[in-house]
Amino acid sequence: MSADLQAVDVCAFWVGDAVYGIDVARVDEILPRVVPLPVADAPAHVEGVVHVQGTAVPIVNLRRLLPGGLSPRTAKPKVILARLGRRRVGLRVDGMAGVRRYTLADIRPATSVRGVLAITGDECRLLDLRELLADPAAPGRPDL
Amino acid sequence: MSAVPPTVEAILARFRYRPDEESGGLAELSTANVEPDRASGGDELQLLTFGLGKGEYAVGLGTVTEILRARTLTEIPRARPPLLGVLNLRGTITPVYDPSLRLGLAGPAQPCAGPDCPRPARAARILVVRTALGPAGLWVDRVRGVQRVRPGALERPRGGPTGGVVGVLSTPEGSCTIVDPEWLFR
Repeated sequence: MSADLQAVDVCAFWVGDAVYGIDVARVDEILPRVVPLPVADAPAHVEGVVHVQGTAVPIVNLRRLLPGGLSPRTAKPKVILARLGRRRVGLRVDGMAGVRRYTLADIRPATSVRGVLAITGDECRLLDLRELLADPAAPGRPDL
Repeated sequence: MSAVPPTVEAILARFRYRPDEESGGLAELSTANVEPDRASGGDELQLLTFGLGKGEYAVGLGTVTEILRARTLTEIPRARPPLLGVLNLRGTITPVYDPSLRLGLAGPAQPCAGPDCPRPARAARILVVRTALGPAGLWVDRVRGVQRVRPGALERPRGGPTGGVVGVLSTPEGSCTIVDPEWLFR
């Protein structure tokens, strides 16, 4: 449907005092309480892994990757189980901000923060999850 | 940095999820590094024990993918026992069956599906099991827990499994019948 290409559905969440969003198609599940198992030699932003339906899923704390001030006191932290290619990753966020639909006119490019692709009219920052989670030492990443 | 700002289409191409995209770069974490929660002796069986009526039963833990708090099911018109109804499990329509029929027990005292049915009992759970045809649910009265046993501790029926009963485990609290989950509703 052409109407679908003109709009984008975003799963929005809080990290600190800012709202970020990922494609709703990436979201598998939202988990309320997650206690990851610590992993030796994990990068600083990876809290550990949890077993979800038989597979080990890394849990990434987005506060360690994205700028953001203090979170609102009413925030309810959650873990978003998101798809990244064929794998899954858990994103620890400070709270959910609902599913929002944006039209193309709402979206403005933004390049100042790594992993943030664009910002919408109501200040929801759209994330390139693959770039955000890519290993900084890996070659081939464009220099920002 | 390029001088030309990317177009909205180019942004959305990077924003949207594609199942065939590469997930490279995400730090590869091998599960070998995960600290095991408990040392397990190689051939231990793990059983999930649950209660139906007054009896205790168990299924192999490996087949159970999830345990849900029992909720009101969507009724299927003219559904025949053991099918109770269906459940929307994160987008997958999952049939939920009543295991008591196969086990020769009285079925649930109250209906479990449809808008008029009462709220399920607090202890009731739905075990989601993996089958060849996709996930299926089993409505049980309560879930006791996971029990690790050595295969030798089981009393197996003579002449191989009879019906779906794999064996009987005797515990200080009483005996527990180990069943094949698929047999309960096939």
